[in-house]
Amino acid sequence: MSMRVAQAIVAKDLRTEVRSRSAVSTVLPFAATMLLAFGFALGPDRLLLAETAPALLWLAALFASVELCHRSYQHEAANDALEGLLLSPADKGAVYLGKAAAAFVQLIVLLVVTTGIVIVLFGLPVGPAPALLLLTGVLGIAGLSTLGSLLGLLAVRSRSRQAALPVLVLPLVSPVIIAATRATADLTHGITAGIGGWLGLLVAFDAAYLAAGYIVFGHLLED
Amino acid sequence: MTAPQRAAARLSRVTRLFDGLAAVSQVSLEIAQGETVWLRGWNGSGKTTLLRLIATAISPTFGDGSVLGFDLRAERSAIRARTDLLSHETRLYGDLTAAENLRFACSLYDIDARLAEPALERVGLEEVAAVRVGRYSQGMRQRLALARCLMRAPALVLLDEPYAALDADARVVVDELLTTARAGRRTAVVASHEAPPAHLIDREVMMDGGRVTAPAGVVPS
Repeated sequence: MSMRVAQAIVAKDLRTEVRSRSAVSTVLPFAATMLLAFGFALGPDRLLLAETAPALLWLAALFASVELCHRSYQHEAANDALEGLLLSPADKGAVYLGKAAAAFVQLIVLLVVTTGIVIVLFGLPVGPAPALLLLTGVLGIAGLSTLGSLLGLLAVRSRSRQAALPVLVLPLVSPVIIAATRATADLTHGITAGIGGWLGLLVAFDAAYLAAGYIVFGHLLED
Repeated sequence: MTAPQRAAARLSRVTRLFDGLAAVSQVSLEIAQGETVWLRGWNGSGKTTLLRLIATAISPTFGDGSVLGFDLRAERSAIRARTDLLSHETRLYGDLTAAENLRFACSLYDIDARLAEPALERVGLEEVAAVRVGRYSQGMRQRLALARCLMRAPALVLLDEPYAALDADARVVVDELLTTARAGRRTAVVASHEAPPAHLIDREVMMDGGRVTAPAGVVPS
């Protein structure tokens, strides 16, 4: 039953996104505008742009994940659908896995688009190990979606609502952003030595967030 | 009507505080299995809070109880699998169609998705089953929530102001739900300003100021 619940949540969230286009209409323009603004602020120095590109890419992904997770739970809060999840006998851990998986898919799409923008605007090279770069992207996004999907719930249940989400997410997600940025920077500059350490750190934090989310999601959902 | 044997809900001195104020205070109440109870009271009398406590949407601050034989605090999942709370908040997704909403509920409750179609027919929404719920009127949403409840056929149905925002046809659906519940020896609690049809009700429980004030099955202390 747990798998069926998780699949149903993924299908429902993705269908909602396709129909409401909230990521396309708000999150993507936000990320693109942010990258453009930084691009113009940093000036035409191609070397400087390429140096800063990995950090800007992950900052854009971070802010996009905060907005996306907030919107995802706003959909749940409308008509008290969140209470529908609470009052169902479904495994709440499976609900969390579904929410995190749906956020993961959306953020991966977003990362692909923003990476394209960064490659064109900032001249970011793909480097000699595109598979490792892809793995970095997957692991980094996994960290953002697992943590965002947990804290998004906490934010929508809190009285301060949206303001609570960045306050909760930003300190906790720092290790993921640092590791993903460092790995991206090294790989795009052709450095593969020591990359295993950053990827290992990403795997560790992803696993920790996923386990924590699976365990505590139900408790956060309760009154 | 023959006297039911087991309690569908048994509350003992249940109190629920919100910011220090008691929405429900020291309520002891017993609802027998198969009974249909009309929960009466003015706005703010605590009817909705009481329903939400029984549904395990919220926890009691003090007191304890059981629903369908399961502990109100420790066995919430078992209670939720057998209970449905219908209120003006329909818990539907506006970007999904009616059929998709019901199929989603089937996944959550682990029931056969083929039950969705007949449930939509019973509430008269089969022709708009493929329309997104965001385009529905409040009355149509209420009907869809009723369809979800009909599809699940829970052992305990909790209806919070079920007649509000409904036209005459949809009111019939609510009455049908109560009739079906009675026929199936299932329990229903209707919190409403408006009296449900007398033949569908076994007894009334009056609430005022968060307390049960008129006849109720009181749990001996």
